[in-house]
Amino acid sequence: MKKEKDWLFLLPAILVVAVMTQVPFILTIIYSTLKWNLSRPDLPIKFIGFENYLYYLRIPEFPVIPEFYSIFWQTIVLTLSTLIFCAVFGFLFSILLDHQVPGINIARTLIMGPFFVMSTASGVIWKTTIFNTTFGWYGVIAKSLGFTPVDLLSYHPMAVIIFLFSWQWIPFFVLIILAGLQGISGDVVDSMRVDGANWFESTFMIKLPMISQHVMVATMLGLIFIVKEIGLILVTTAGGPGTRSYNLPYAVYMEIFNGSQVGRAGALATMTVAITLISVNVLYRIIKKRSASFE
Amino acid sequence: MNPDKLKIVRRHNLRKKINIFLLSVFIFAVAILYFSPILYMFLTSFKTEHQAVSPRLFFKPTLDTFKLVLSDANMFGFLKNSLIQVFFTTFACLLLAIPASFVLVFGKFKKRNTGEKIYVWFITTILLPPVAVIIPLYTWYQKFNLIKSPLGLLVAYIGFHVPIVVWMLHSFFKDVPKSIIEASEIDGCSRFRQLISIALPLVRTGIISSALLVAIFVWNEFFLGFNLTGNSTATLPVYMSRFREQQGMFVAQLSASSTIAILPAVILGWITQKSLVKGLTLGAVKG
Repeated sequence: MKKEKDWLFLLPAILVVAVMTQVPFILTIIYSTLKWNLSRPDLPIKFIGFENYLYYLRIPEFPVIPEFYSIFWQTIVLTLSTLIFCAVFGFLFSILLDHQVPGINIARTLIMGPFFVMSTASGVIWKTTIFNTTFGWYGVIAKSLGFTPVDLLSYHPMAVIIFLFSWQWIPFFVLIILAGLQGISGDVVDSMRVDGANWFESTFMIKLPMISQHVMVATMLGLIFIVKEIGLILVTTAGGPGTRSYNLPYAVYMEIFNGSQVGRAGALATMTVAITLISVNVLYRIIKKRSASFE
Repeated sequence: MNPDKLKIVRRHNLRKKINIFLLSVFIFAVAILYFSPILYMFLTSFKTEHQAVSPRLFFKPTLDTFKLVLSDANMFGFLKNSLIQVFFTTFACLLLAIPASFVLVFGKFKKRNTGEKIYVWFITTILLPPVAVIIPLYTWYQKFNLIKSPLGLLVAYIGFHVPIVVWMLHSFFKDVPKSIIEASEIDGCSRFRQLISIALPLVRTGIISSALLVAIFVWNEFFLGFNLTGNSTATLPVYMSRFREQQGMFVAQLSASSTIAILPAVILGWITQKSLVKGLTLGAVKG
């Protein structure tokens, strides 16, 4: 009797989550094997196997590599460099914010701010008040220094997006890494001082290994969230010029909303999910291995 | 202590104080520089459109732009939609996730590791990016006209945020001593009573912090909101994303709207910082 009752507590949650996430995902995989054009309801929906996947993966004329590969590469560059920037600056900021000086809580609060700003708003703010070549700070400062400001968004779209992603996600890394630093016991800090470790040694050779677990966890959560981000790309560069600042989710979005090709979009989405899950899994294994070696 | 030594000690203390002062000035400079785009946006929202054309830090503040933005019926609609989504999603997520995570920790199933397995399943759904589901959802919602009702987006949000609450609450429930629950079971306390009168008061901070986290996430969520809503149901992030097309270069208006759009989440975030860290690190570092 009691066993049945426990299920009742659990079922509604499982049901809602399954219907909204698992069922559509399975349908996406099924769609990816179909030839289905939303804008042509007169054409029949046909099963075509792996044709949609091959559409992206096949290299018909060898020296010309299909766009999928460059978008895939851009996604890797975008995510990886953002994560590296976040980890490095997140650690440095945390070290800085770990000092007990007057007003440190205000400084912490200020650095935390960008994380809670919606990505579309931060994209629009940066684009108009800073990167704009005539009205923005970047343009004004460049002109007063005697440069001709170039439009960063069209000349260096990837750099801008990596920069903005990092600006938004470094606070999240600080949030977790700082918690780790504050968890280091006073004994360790004291004995470091007694043993005469200098700043560099104590920071990078003692503290960093002690909180490596926190850095890893922040990186993994960051990866999960950063890979799905498209709002910032949409409002700043809109993927352009051309497809030079697309990432995979943005490509899926464009495929279904501009191309109306449900099958192809499904294939692209399935590959995106597979790539995401594989990379998260790899990172998770590394973390597990590391934490096992510490125990 | 002789006077010479005293002098040395004093000088040392003075130097230490100066060092701390310099350090805090440096930390503040970094923090303010980091925050400056938001600060500048906040300042610009008190400018008139004319003043906002050239970047300047000193000017005569006015509330005109705010009045202009808030008198726009569109803006008001988006604000209302966002509030509806945040309120009902958070409420429904708690309603579904609290009992679920409670029995995942304390419930008894036929096989011993069933609870563990279901918990892992919840976690893996967090990993699923929204692009994985958007195509079927989009086609359904278009077909059944769900984009015209807030209910469509609401259900999607609930489905995507329940796992996050389960993940966070699971670690909080695990901190509740098992012996209390077992003792109450022997006394003939039903699962429902155990949850309401014993466990809930003990995990209050966890519930509050996960509720606030969901509220912030939903308030800022863009991808689903953008694809699953029509004009009448769109939320604030969608409104912000359309700014580049609709309003052109009205910097002051844009700043005022962004201020309204981001302020609730930033303030909520600041308030919850501490409990957020606890929830995230508890859930993640312990695994």
